[in-house]
Amino acid sequence: MTHLLRRAAWRLLGGILVLLAAASLTFAALHLTPGDPVTAILGGASANPTPEAIAAARHEYGLDRPIAVQYALYIARIARGDLGQSFSQHMPVIAVLRAQAPPTLALMASSLAVAWLLALLSVVPTARRGAAGAIASTLETVGAGLPQFWLGILLLWGLAFEWRLLPPAGNHGLPALVLPTLSLAIPLAGFIAQVMRESFDLALDQPFILTARARGLGDGTVRLRHALRHALLPCVSLSTWAVGALVGNAVAIEIIFSRQGLGRELFLSVATHDMPLVSGIVLFIALTYILAGLAADTLYVLIDPRLKGTRP
Amino acid sequence: MELTILRGAQALGSLSMRPLHSPALPRRALWLAAAALLLATTGCRRHQSRTTAHEPVQGGTLIYATDREPICLDPHVQGDMPQVFLAEQYLDSLVAMDRSGHILPWLATDWAVSDDGRTYTFHLRHDVTFTDGTPLTAEAVRANLDHMVDPHTQSSTAGGYIKQYAGTDIIDTYTAAVHLKTPYAAFLEVLAQGFLGIESPRALARPRDENCQNPVGSGPFRIVRWDHQSQIVLARNPAYHWGPPTALHTGPARLDGIEWRIIPEASVRFAALQAGEVDVIDSLPPEAETPAQRNPDLWLLMADRPGNPTNGTLNIKRAPFDDIRVREAFIRSADIDGALASVFFHHYRRAGSPLSPTTPFYSPAFEHHADYDPDRARALLDQAGWTGRTEEGIRTRDGRPLVVHIPLKASLSAAERTLWEQVQATARATGFDVRLENGDDTTILEREGQWDYDVRIGYWNTSTADVLRIVFSSAFLGAAGVGGHHQNEAGFSDPAFDRVVNDALLTTDPDKRRALYLQAQTIAAQNFLQITTYPQSTRLALSRAVHDVRLEPSLNVTSLYDSWVTR
Repeated sequence: MTHLLRRAAWRLLGGILVLLAAASLTFAALHLTPGDPVTAILGGASANPTPEAIAAARHEYGLDRPIAVQYALYIARIARGDLGQSFSQHMPVIAVLRAQAPPTLALMASSLAVAWLLALLSVVPTARRGAAGAIASTLETVGAGLPQFWLGILLLWGLAFEWRLLPPAGNHGLPALVLPTLSLAIPLAGFIAQVMRESFDLALDQPFILTARARGLGDGTVRLRHALRHALLPCVSLSTWAVGALVGNAVAIEIIFSRQGLGRELFLSVATHDMPLVSGIVLFIALTYILAGLAADTLYVLIDPRLKGTRP
Repeated sequence: MELTILRGAQALGSLSMRPLHSPALPRRALWLAAAALLLATTGCRRHQSRTTAHEPVQGGTLIYATDREPICLDPHVQGDMPQVFLAEQYLDSLVAMDRSGHILPWLATDWAVSDDGRTYTFHLRHDVTFTDGTPLTAEAVRANLDHMVDPHTQSSTAGGYIKQYAGTDIIDTYTAAVHLKTPYAAFLEVLAQGFLGIESPRALARPRDENCQNPVGSGPFRIVRWDHQSQIVLARNPAYHWGPPTALHTGPARLDGIEWRIIPEASVRFAALQAGEVDVIDSLPPEAETPAQRNPDLWLLMADRPGNPTNGTLNIKRAPFDDIRVREAFIRSADIDGALASVFFHHYRRAGSPLSPTTPFYSPAFEHHADYDPDRARALLDQAGWTGRTEEGIRTRDGRPLVVHIPLKASLSAAERTLWEQVQATARATGFDVRLENGDDTTILEREGQWDYDVRIGYWNTSTADVLRIVFSSAFLGAAGVGGHHQNEAGFSDPAFDRVVNDALLTTDPDKRRALYLQAQTIAAQNFLQITTYPQSTRLALSRAVHDVRLEPSLNVTSLYDSWVTR
């Protein structure tokens, strides 16, 4: 029990350090790039801000203080769990996250699920099956090589503009989720399938497969019940990486499909140097990443009971 | 759901010219066909306006798609174009402006200007209430004007336009005397803009960021909900009977409500209109204009906006544009007409004057004062001493090449960017080395604050010729200590010009103002301070199911007050 507690404590400490590093790097990055949020907010194309308005805004956001003080206040604020007020959205950062996270999380979840489904369909029936395997393997390589934004534009042009099968934009209903999901899922499916195919092949060579076949099990059962379980582990670790990558790629996809979401919000907030909002989104992404790691650890144990207690 | 399927079936009927509702057709087949159609052509459901309706129809929701989301729904705060488009739907103004620039009564039934031009006494309508139940009173006028100039409001537009505001005295419940520090003849013109719309004083008393989310007006619609990055939902104000004099009808709006969607990608926005996902789009991209004209299901509504047209302002505070000959040479070396034709597919006209043609007191005399003339440009460069040549054909003087730095913001539209690439190409033929320097918006704004540019790309939409004072008079060269932010991007400082534009504020006599603004336009044009390219414009593409969309004259922004839909 103490062993488990110590492991949990280390995990927690690691997670806090990751969040602190993410917050500090965001602060540094936004202060090292030239530009001033106040002129970004008040100095739009048809703007005529008075010097008094500029000075008042600078004071309101604490931007007239020394940078070290700004940093200390920023970290202290985050430590209290207060993400602050977004300059550019005129809203508390937490309210922006509450509004924008669900569509992005829905897109991530559906992309990950579809990617897994495509990978399973591509690998399980075709592995070690001559021409079918070769064709599926080639498709997986091509899929993994497709850039998401390019695929997104292609799907948009073909299925939404030309054939008008699906809505080109927005968040209204499930049909609007299809194209963005496919744009993210197809390349990811390629990656997952490549890893899955390799370990599936390895598993099929193992003595226990021979044993299972000797017990008279059919090929389908062997594949699904025995080989697949072994092939899943590396795919689960790949999926934790994918969760992080999906958020990054969501920026382009949300912009292309004019979807509501954190990716587009991140893009807009970086453009206006909206420090509280950028750091809020970055921290949220870091937290998602940490939680995905924890979920993967749990999944390992479920898939492979031998790991219970032995994993560091 | 059932309604949608029915529309799908009607669509099939109109496509195949065969009545579908024949009793012979099995019921299940009809449902299947309808379902298949629903999947295949969600689009066809909205453009069913062939039913020729001439009488306005009550009810229905209109879906409007725009490119940019307002950062705050209260147009007093900051004050960018997306805010005024929305303000037009839920706010009223003290006065209105018609197509010829005349000021008409609206919330104020009449007004008197004191002899010294510094006090405007407004008499208000007695029957106006904001949608939160607060009545319109002189107190509300004071609260609004005070709010616009309060530095804490962070107003870049409304507050800047009434810098002269000193305070408001309440004469009685419905009479307000507004005092100005200096005479300001453009006051009524700017008051007509939605940027200076009148909000409920009770709502304004809330914290700024709270009021940003759901401001309250007295307009034909009220804001119901804002799903950030997705849509703003508005509903009809049933009590409305104080519409502007420029409207086509009186009484409440005809629509039940509006869904104001945010679709930033231009091609996606147009595709959404073609597919019938939305009823109206603004900022129609130039490449879609011809397809939209040819589409029998769509119609277009366009108008130029008043103000200083889209332009590149030349920084005359440093070489090479400190020399007027080099400025004229640069402007004449840029083939704007050719560039507009290729970039905007012949849909945009050149704006040659410092004022856009829809601005009050605009003079057409300067439309061709600096047309493309590469021979004259070369002669001017010779005169200015830029006689040498590098191996690449760039002009030099004392061994230094003739370089022009143009910072381009990341937010600049693709079309605008291409336009400047064309300017780069034609100016190069005359011997200018034009460098287009990309950067994110904040970086470029910082450079602009430090006068680190030769050409600054911008525009200024406003309903008054007083814009000339903002963009060219020495009062707007910027104050020290605020990041160098300035509106006079040219760095032009001319006492004669300052006198003319300031004198124009002292008189409300239209003939005197016209004469003074003619002088101001002459001085601005003669000094070659800007390459003006095209007027800013409102460009809507609309479904044939949508009728009576109007452009509000002071800024030519969309008004959906009169609109109705046939489905």
